[in-house]
Amino acid sequence: MERGIGSGGAFAWFFQRISGAVLVLALLLHFWVLHYSNQGEVTFEIVAQRLATPVWKTIDLTFLVLAVIHGFWGFLMIVRDYVHSKNMRLFLVAAVWTVGLVIAVMGALTIIGFHPPLPVAPPEQLGGMVQ
Amino acid sequence: MRYKWKSGQWAFVLHRVSGVALSFYLIMHIYVVSSLYDPQNFDTVMAFLNQPLFKILEIGLLAAVVFHGLNGIRVMMIDFANATRVHAQIFWVVLAVSAVLIAVGAVPFLMHAGVLGH
Repeated sequence: MERGIGSGGAFAWFFQRISGAVLVLALLLHFWVLHYSNQGEVTFEIVAQRLATPVWKTIDLTFLVLAVIHGFWGFLMIVRDYVHSKNMRLFLVAAVWTVGLVIAVMGALTIIGFHPPLPVAPPEQLGGMVQ
Repeated sequence: MRYKWKSGQWAFVLHRVSGVALSFYLIMHIYVVSSLYDPQNFDTVMAFLNQPLFKILEIGLLAAVVFHGLNGIRVMMIDFANATRVHAQIFWVVLAVSAVLIAVGAVPFLMHAGVLGH
């Protein structure tokens, strides 16, 4: 098989299968957590409780990275299969990588950068601390 | 590229089409969730997405996820578990199980959208 621009070779083939298997399990968890626990309600408070913990940050970050690589590698395979003009292929491969990186960074910033807003304590609890 | 329209080719094309749809959804999803930087902003976005239109669209998302995931398991069975000889039979199982899961899974969405009664 021709190994043109954007071809990932055997590693890409293997990675799609392994990440796909993990993504099936991750999606089951994602679906359960978002649509069954808390009666399927998705509010800031509920999401914030999870996303404030390091364990969930790690799970979500793994899920994000695998999903983006899996999806964008899929785009690259489609480009490889249908686009034969060298320039067009170079352009599309560059575009897929750019959008993929932007979306991965955007997602990572949301997860890593998330910190719950400080709870507003009623004045009597602050006691003498407030001058 | 020439396609012979047998089950394997249908599986291949459906896998690609659902995969592309899911990747575009992923882009939108990450963008929407980035509204988490502000609590009010996030709840406004979620309330907007609670409209019946999006509930109906989510049935399409469910269909793409279910088929792509189940057919992905079929692909792994072919590649790693020597299932090449029965790939066509597994495809029919994938279609049947997908149809059931999508039909059952669509019910809550339709109820939420007000299409089915509560």
